[in-house]
Amino acid sequence: MNGARWLAQALVAEGVDTLFGYPGGAIMPFYDALYDVPQLQHVLVRHEQGAAFAANGYARASGRVGVCVATSGPGATNLFTGIADALVDSVPMVAITGQVASSLMGTDAFQELDVFGMSFPMVKHSFIARSVDELPHIVGEAFRIARSGRPGPVLIDLPKDVQNADASHLPPHVPLPIDDVEAPKDASLHEALALISLAQRPVIYGGGGIALGDAVQDFRTFVDATQIPTVLTLKGLGALPSKHPLNLGMLGMHGSRAANLAVQEADLLIVVGARFDDRATGKLAEFAPHARVVHMDLDACEIGKLRVADAGVRGDIRTTLAKLTLACAAHLHGRNGPARKAWRSQCQQRALQFAPRYDAPGATVYAPALLKRLSETAADAFVVCDVGQHQMWVAQHWQMQHPRKHLTSGALGAMGFGLPAAIGAQLQDRTAQVICVSGDGSIQMNIQELATLRRYNLPVKIVLLDNQALGMVRQWQELFFEKRYSEIDLSDNPDFIALAAAFGIEALHVERAEDVDAAIAALLAAKGPALLHVAIDTAANVWPLVPPNRNNAQMIDDDASPKETPHALPA
Amino acid sequence: MRYQLELTLRRAEGALTRVLGTAERRGFLPVSVDGHAHADGERWQLRMTVEGERAPETLQHQLAKLYDCLTVEVRPCP
Repeated sequence: MNGARWLAQALVAEGVDTLFGYPGGAIMPFYDALYDVPQLQHVLVRHEQGAAFAANGYARASGRVGVCVATSGPGATNLFTGIADALVDSVPMVAITGQVASSLMGTDAFQELDVFGMSFPMVKHSFIARSVDELPHIVGEAFRIARSGRPGPVLIDLPKDVQNADASHLPPHVPLPIDDVEAPKDASLHEALALISLAQRPVIYGGGGIALGDAVQDFRTFVDATQIPTVLTLKGLGALPSKHPLNLGMLGMHGSRAANLAVQEADLLIVVGARFDDRATGKLAEFAPHARVVHMDLDACEIGKLRVADAGVRGDIRTTLAKLTLACAAHLHGRNGPARKAWRSQCQQRALQFAPRYDAPGATVYAPALLKRLSETAADAFVVCDVGQHQMWVAQHWQMQHPRKHLTSGALGAMGFGLPAAIGAQLQDRTAQVICVSGDGSIQMNIQELATLRRYNLPVKIVLLDNQALGMVRQWQELFFEKRYSEIDLSDNPDFIALAAAFGIEALHVERAEDVDAAIAALLAAKGPALLHVAIDTAANVWPLVPPNRNNAQMIDDDASPKETPHALPA
Repeated sequence: MRYQLELTLRRAEGALTRVLGTAERRGFLPVSVDGHAHADGERWQLRMTVEGERAPETLQHQLAKLYDCLTVEVRPCP
């Protein structure tokens, strides 16, 4: 048995059943080993970036470690965007890259790059195996690190001679347990409780850490017990169902008015697994200017990084929420009751007042209405987005039920994520309904993965919102660059129906609003993979929008005029 | 502001580069770096002076998250 075969069997021992990759020279011993390990299903993508995004989607949807494989040099660099995306969105992944033989490393050999060195800023950790004897330690640690604490990607760079070396003396692989999660300190919980007790206008600001901490139910219980109005980040969407009466929607650049105004007027922010990302805060110095901050996070790095926390609660989110729920039930009864009730009522009235409208005039398809309708029709589906206007429309209008059902490239904003990530989401559960919402710009970044969809006959449904432009850039050029439209025109797009047909994918087209229901029904009725091409207005924009260097109360809408400003607050 | 960092690292490939890269990327410019391997051959002892305007506690947490970083202390330079 050589090192490559030992590694393949170690992956099986780690519980891996699916890996995504693309073979090449320096990783050939590993691919040879796969030939004899049928427990591992290898999914052959058509570009290594597709492998990394597919593993990423697999991990996001399942909560398990996603594994991708590529050869040295260009194979490895093509993985990097998907690996970086996993780092900044905290996705557990292990990436295995072939490397030229140890004797050739450092000689500028064919397809040699310092992949290990290049990986440092975009992984949780990386290893280079200098000897086959290091493999048990490296593989065990790689999976332990990827899974433990705040999850993330780990890269294993594997020289060809190490793959070929005799490994018959190595013991069978035994996975390592993941690290225990630290419980929050009682003192920090008491500080948080004191601030929550005093608050008259509290807002809960929930993020991706809720799902990562497997704390969705605890979060919902906390919200229901405290009756505090709640806003969510892009990664937090679904932590409360969209229709929950205390859910004010997403905050930030394309957040709802109700959410942004509540945050700007709050006297306390209870931050749960969120990190004051600039897309959420707008102008940081003017974000939630009246609020004190309770910040709960597993990762000590996030507490106080961008906004000083008056009470920082570091530790397991589930435990934190459960303890605070109990404490609040005991201490909050009647405290500031009238003030909180009035605040809650004000927030909820605003949510009604500024609720999105779906009765857009005209005969053409209104994308927000289509997405809302689709999400109601396919209520249990995974929705996997690409990046751009359609991504924000999904965030605003999809009726979210659970954050693990919404896969989006949040922090990196990587166009090309959608289709391969949807493939990964489908492969972690072939019975799940998976819908990929993409744009005409994004889908062409990894359109070759239609071939992967066809090869494995995955019933992913693609909704391609085609405005014949790079819509988000076009919107910004319209609003902030004096309509100087620079390099955003995609009016010479290929015929997407014919293109899908060339890949063997059933495709439909819709361009009139009155045909949307029938088109959705036909798409969802398709047995295998299918694509719905939706022609939308090039000039359609995402509203509301917080302009750059403005605070979140300074949203603009389609008439480009400021709407309601925050209420005057007591001194 | 200048800060002095005392770090104990695994003597692993890439450990020094990761520490220097993290400090720079997180907004702290190295002013001086001094270090040596321990006699046991397993660890590095590293002393760095850096300057930056961001919260030093955050840098300390970020360095502590590095797999090869065993201990890290940050204190203001006198």
